[in-house]
Amino acid sequence: MNEFLGIIQHELHMAALAFMGIAYILRIIWLLNFSAARERTLPAGQPAGAVVSSLLAVAKPWTREGSSRNPVFYIQFVLFHLGAAAAISLTFFIPYRPELLKYEFFVRTLQIILGAAFAVGLHRLYRRMAEPSLRLISTPDDYFALIMMTVFYAAGIGAISVNSLMMGNGPLLVFFLMAAFFHFYVPFSKIIHYLYYPFTRYYLGKTMGHRNIGNGRISSLS
Amino acid sequence: MNANTHPSGNRSGDPALATAGRIPALLRARINRQTACSMVTCVHCGKCAQSCHYSLARPHDPFMTPAYKADQIRKIFNRHLDWLGRVFPRWVGAGGKTEETDLSHLKDIVFGTCSGCRRCTFNCPMGVDNAALIRLARGILMEVGVVPQGMSNVCRNQWEMGNQMRVTEEDFIDSLSWVRDEVQYELGVDDVEIGVDKEDCDFIYAVNPREVKYDPRSLINAAKFFYLAGESWTLPRNGWDQTNFGLFSGDDRLGAFMAGNLYQAAARLRAKRIVVSECGHGYRSVRWEGYNWAKHNQQIPTESVIETIMRYLRAGRIKVDRSRNTASVTFHDSCNVARYSGLVEEPRWILKQVCSDFREMHPNRTDNYCCTGGSGLLVMPEYRALRLEVAKIKAEQLKATGADIVCTMCHNCRDGLGDLISHYQLDMKVVQIMDLVANALILPEKHGS
Repeated sequence: MNEFLGIIQHELHMAALAFMGIAYILRIIWLLNFSAARERTLPAGQPAGAVVSSLLAVAKPWTREGSSRNPVFYIQFVLFHLGAAAAISLTFFIPYRPELLKYEFFVRTLQIILGAAFAVGLHRLYRRMAEPSLRLISTPDDYFALIMMTVFYAAGIGAISVNSLMMGNGPLLVFFLMAAFFHFYVPFSKIIHYLYYPFTRYYLGKTMGHRNIGNGRISSLS
Repeated sequence: MNANTHPSGNRSGDPALATAGRIPALLRARINRQTACSMVTCVHCGKCAQSCHYSLARPHDPFMTPAYKADQIRKIFNRHLDWLGRVFPRWVGAGGKTEETDLSHLKDIVFGTCSGCRRCTFNCPMGVDNAALIRLARGILMEVGVVPQGMSNVCRNQWEMGNQMRVTEEDFIDSLSWVRDEVQYELGVDDVEIGVDKEDCDFIYAVNPREVKYDPRSLINAAKFFYLAGESWTLPRNGWDQTNFGLFSGDDRLGAFMAGNLYQAAARLRAKRIVVSECGHGYRSVRWEGYNWAKHNQQIPTESVIETIMRYLRAGRIKVDRSRNTASVTFHDSCNVARYSGLVEEPRWILKQVCSDFREMHPNRTDNYCCTGGSGLLVMPEYRALRLEVAKIKAEQLKATGADIVCTMCHNCRDGLGDLISHYQLDMKVVQIMDLVANALILPEKHGS
């Protein structure tokens, strides 16, 4: 069992990561094969700052009406993605830095984050099924990706609680099998959005900066 | 190609299937990296519904969700341009065969349920530009001829006559001489000149055809300001229409044709600047999109007349008295001017010079709601009932200001707002910035008071 778990934790995990990396590279090449529209106008503003601002938009909820009016949704977003970061980090901490898991504060923090992310995942799933507008636009992948992430958080809680709950290697096995599947599946699902985000935000920010949109200053360059 | 074969290669003999079958190739030819990014980045979070006036006004109707509207073209992209969608179409929402696409339904969605205001883009956490996808879909439908009649008519006018209202050259010249006489009468002078095709002027002035055909007040005001400022300006004989239905229809070739007419006129007349009268989509087309459509590298400054007037006021070339506009005034940011072009503080600066009671509506600037008449909806009467229904969001916003006047810098918004003010019986009138500047204008001694 331990040998099997070791293979899953190391060899399979690395193979899945390598596959994901290659798939990401192919997706980026595919995206860059679309030629970018060329800008032929004289600038009214400075694109550089706007590009940075656009890339950081995810960390600035006050710049979007929806998030500023409904901060609860944004908090859920943060928790859900912190959960993703925590679960992915665990796939490295457990096999490569197990000594970190001896610190109770560290373990408790991860458990709380993963627990919160799990709860948000359930809520998001309910929302996606209950709201007619979300149900209309949802694809099978939207549901599956959300369920997979939510279960992955639960598996993460199990994996990090192995020692305290004396549950043996079962939870670790489930967690690392899920992690491997996760790495194989992500390039084919909407979860890949974080790979596209910098490109989409870069071009939007570049256009906005070039046109001096939204910076509240009078343009003097025209 | 075989004479019996449809351009799409479809041999079924069913024209609807054959026309729909052309869409993937047209999409492939038109898509660029920016729109491809918007195709692939949407996570279907549904936040866009919270910013769209169609969704807000019809919360019971999921078909108004911007992501759903964009998905209608996205699923064709997924099916034909993304290998994942080709292999697992149902799994990623790539839908059925494109040949089975109901083009009439697609037309009603992209022309009738979106004003391209871009509010959802600004509120999308991912930065997905749904408005760009809607315009892309419109352009493809334009190419295959599945277009609302009103949109088609105006596009045809621009192709045939070089202006959207079929104004002949004789009518154009006649109107300008009438405008000149009117300005001379109002100013009490006899040396006003409204040049046509004058070379080496400081700027070439492009207008909305309605200023020539139906409502010359804007042109009269502009001519008055230019005269008092001692400006050297001209209108071009060809290329004077700054409006551009290439923007609304998604037809980049028409966009290039209309904007190109003006750029060529400016080059031919050696103008040092292009100035565009108060018009939201016209300004966006001439200042930004037109250069890219026409593949014409911008060489001279291109600005809205609002920027020109601001320069005059700052330099003291014209003088105003804000106490002449005592009614309460609020400002409506045109989507094409604010969210697409970044011109938000300039109109406010002017309004604060010419009005004694200026008040903001909320939200404002790049968060403002559309007038609901954008993207050519005013020429598509089949969508009027829905347009006015969803205009309740704008009506409530206007009403909350308690203002007597709503001011805008867009002819289209003026008509859109006028329509909803009448429909919702608001006690408010709509004007443009130039109207208020003209009312506050202090004439020099020799021109009387």
